[in-house]
Amino acid sequence: MAIRAANEIRGSEVVLNRVEDHFVGMFEAMASPCIVLVDTDDRDEAEGLLEIAEAEARRIEQKFSRYRRGNLVDRINHSEGRPIDVDEETALLIDFAQTCYENSDGMFDITSGVLRRVWTFDGGSAVPSDNAVRGCLRHLGWWRVSWEKPTLRLPAGMEIDFGGIGKEYAVDRAAALIGASTRCSYLVNFGGDLYAARRRRGDRTWGVGIDDPARSGESALYRFDIATGGVATSGDARRYVRWRGKRLGHILNPKTGWPVIDAPRSVTVIARTCIEAGTLSTLAYLQGPEARAYLEEQGVQFWIV
Amino acid sequence: MRVQLESGKRSSPLREMLHTAALGLLLVPATAKAGDPTDRVDVTSLLYGEQGRTQVIEPVVRFTHLWADGQSVSAQLAVDVITGASPTGALPSGVVQTRTSASGRVITSAAGAIPMAPFQDHRVAFDGEWQKPFSRIFTSTVGGHFSREKDYQSLGVNAKLSTDLMNRLVTITIGGGINHDSVFPVGGTPIGLSDGIVVHSGSNSKEVKNVLLGGSRILTRRWMMSVNGSQTFESGYLTEPYKVISLMNPVTGAPVGQLTDKRPSTRNRSSVLLSSVYHLNDDVLYTSYRYYWDTWSVRSHTIDIKYRRDLDTDTYLEPLVRYYRQTAASFFTVGLEQGAPLPDFATSDYRLGRLQTITLGATYGTRFEDIQGDWTLRAQYMRQFGDSSPPNAIGIQRNFDLAPPVNIVAVVIGYSFGY
Amino acid sequence: MIRRMVQVCRLMIALALLLSAGCATVHPWDRDLLAEKKMSFIPSPMLLAVDEHIYFSKEASTGGMDAGGGGCGCN
Repeated sequence: MAIRAANEIRGSEVVLNRVEDHFVGMFEAMASPCIVLVDTDDRDEAEGLLEIAEAEARRIEQKFSRYRRGNLVDRINHSEGRPIDVDEETALLIDFAQTCYENSDGMFDITSGVLRRVWTFDGGSAVPSDNAVRGCLRHLGWWRVSWEKPTLRLPAGMEIDFGGIGKEYAVDRAAALIGASTRCSYLVNFGGDLYAARRRRGDRTWGVGIDDPARSGESALYRFDIATGGVATSGDARRYVRWRGKRLGHILNPKTGWPVIDAPRSVTVIARTCIEAGTLSTLAYLQGPEARAYLEEQGVQFWIV
Repeated sequence: MRVQLESGKRSSPLREMLHTAALGLLLVPATAKAGDPTDRVDVTSLLYGEQGRTQVIEPVVRFTHLWADGQSVSAQLAVDVITGASPTGALPSGVVQTRTSASGRVITSAAGAIPMAPFQDHRVAFDGEWQKPFSRIFTSTVGGHFSREKDYQSLGVNAKLSTDLMNRLVTITIGGGINHDSVFPVGGTPIGLSDGIVVHSGSNSKEVKNVLLGGSRILTRRWMMSVNGSQTFESGYLTEPYKVISLMNPVTGAPVGQLTDKRPSTRNRSSVLLSSVYHLNDDVLYTSYRYYWDTWSVRSHTIDIKYRRDLDTDTYLEPLVRYYRQTAASFFTVGLEQGAPLPDFATSDYRLGRLQTITLGATYGTRFEDIQGDWTLRAQYMRQFGDSSPPNAIGIQRNFDLAPPVNIVAVVIGYSFGY
Repeated sequence: MIRRMVQVCRLMIALALLLSAGCATVHPWDRDLLAEKKMSFIPSPMLLAVDEHIYFSKEASTGGMDAGGGGCGCN
């Protein structure tokens, strides 16, 4: 399937292939393979839409990545407690993150990134000392942040990170831009988080496979068809730490400063947009063993491995 | 396994909250793409002809500059060249009239012919506009207008504020404008309802204030509707200085003299316009209905329908049909009876009488392979029907068609390109 | 003058209520058709201006479409 081939795309290369009755475009951005499927016979159209998706993915990566020097996120994280005015788009993302924080009892927190100073998820078995974790927790918590649109004041030593929603946001944005430029059915897939729109020609739908976390990249564990909606998966088989015989995934609980014990390997959620799916799958993952019950309560379609 | 998103499952409050938040987030407008043209030139030319009456040629050129943040300025220049003749308002004389024109040609008018006055004029109009989005949901527009004719000058400013609500499903617009016009008739301004011999020189002013409130709504993926209400307050010299009203013999109806036109010095106009744009896969159906009423007792209905059919990606054909119907102004009269007391106001201008207009036409738009830009050609045929036999016509006037249909052809050629 | 504005507003509100009935949302990614240039109440402002000018000079009614534009001493 085309999704496999995307793993071979590297750097700034952009590839567009015709596969059966549609076009498959691929590039790499946000450290992930990015795929755009367009249900058309018109190569120029597919190419134009692929360009839109690529430009948007790169724009968002550049603007919101915490690894880019000099961007707004970098300036906020080095503001040393000084107020920073943010632009409209950043303000909306912060508003969204705040809504998630308020509605998840503080479990969804964009200031959790500081914990990565002490945790390493490389498959090893080194866990930080309780003191080190406690030290981080003093610099964590959205309640410590003052946010009055458009001014953000982040106390010194804290940092924000849109990593938890950035890729999903990029998917939805790229999808919205493509959606406004074409009448074709399309699917935007950035590293497994995806959005599909409209029924395909001949009343068909896009097939989506979910990887088996244990054998990533080899076989799809689940397959389903989707016409319109967003899909996101939380949990990553390759980024974990071993502790007392358990695999602890890289998603950290902002209250304990620890990974989630007895969490599912991965949680996949379908929602109306990719960012909603991503938020719900992350929140469910943070519930640990209660993930299933949590998602059933939300009334969404999901898969838990 | 097929996934049904809107399955019977109840959505949790959290999910709804997230959905609302996500929609707010995703409605950030797309930024302009690199390579989009930033300058645009539009040129149109109107060729307008009424059978046996007025002819107009009007070239218009507009230049628009766009910035990446959505800001734009435009400047437009229009020139009208008008020649021909228009009805004076007087009644047919009832006798065959012969006169010799300046060039020596003998002109014969039929007994029932509507008296016409030849005229020629030209008009130069300049319009400027500045549009600026000043937040994610607000856009402001300010504009100015200046035009000048031999006997008329118009100077105006207008402003408009639009805001998008409910995730850009709804747009609300408020706007307003003020115009200060001056009328300075050739040969002086006659006193209203007089023989026109005594005139005063100098110009007469006319103020026009306009407010507009509009709302549009996206109803479905292919349908949007809007409703606009507008209110215009006019005050000052609203009379047509060159129009006259016949004095007629109360028995025979034969015209025995004429008086000048006189209209009230205020006029409040109101209108409500309902428009719909509907996308049928490739074609688009535009429909609108306007109801208009004013303090001169004119009421009108206008229905406008256009159907755009895309012939291919570059070419379209858009037939149009419009129907307009108005009631007469309260002081409209075909003529005044000699000896009867004069009313406060009176006009015989057929445009303030009972009137219907039917317009049929089509727009054709295309592009050419070697030439950049869009070409449009619009041709319209209009026919105006007045009140041919008004109830207060007397004597010989009953034999005549007092408002013969006016046939009009208007052709517009347009060319626009961006760079 | 005030009474007339109230009249206009009342009509507007009635029509606005009519418009807001059946409030289905149209998501940004479903605005493909609406994003087309021809999906506009005024797809060609220049042609509209020409028409408005003609009708302004030949009929007793004006207004509705837009604020602005200038008068003329049209015969």
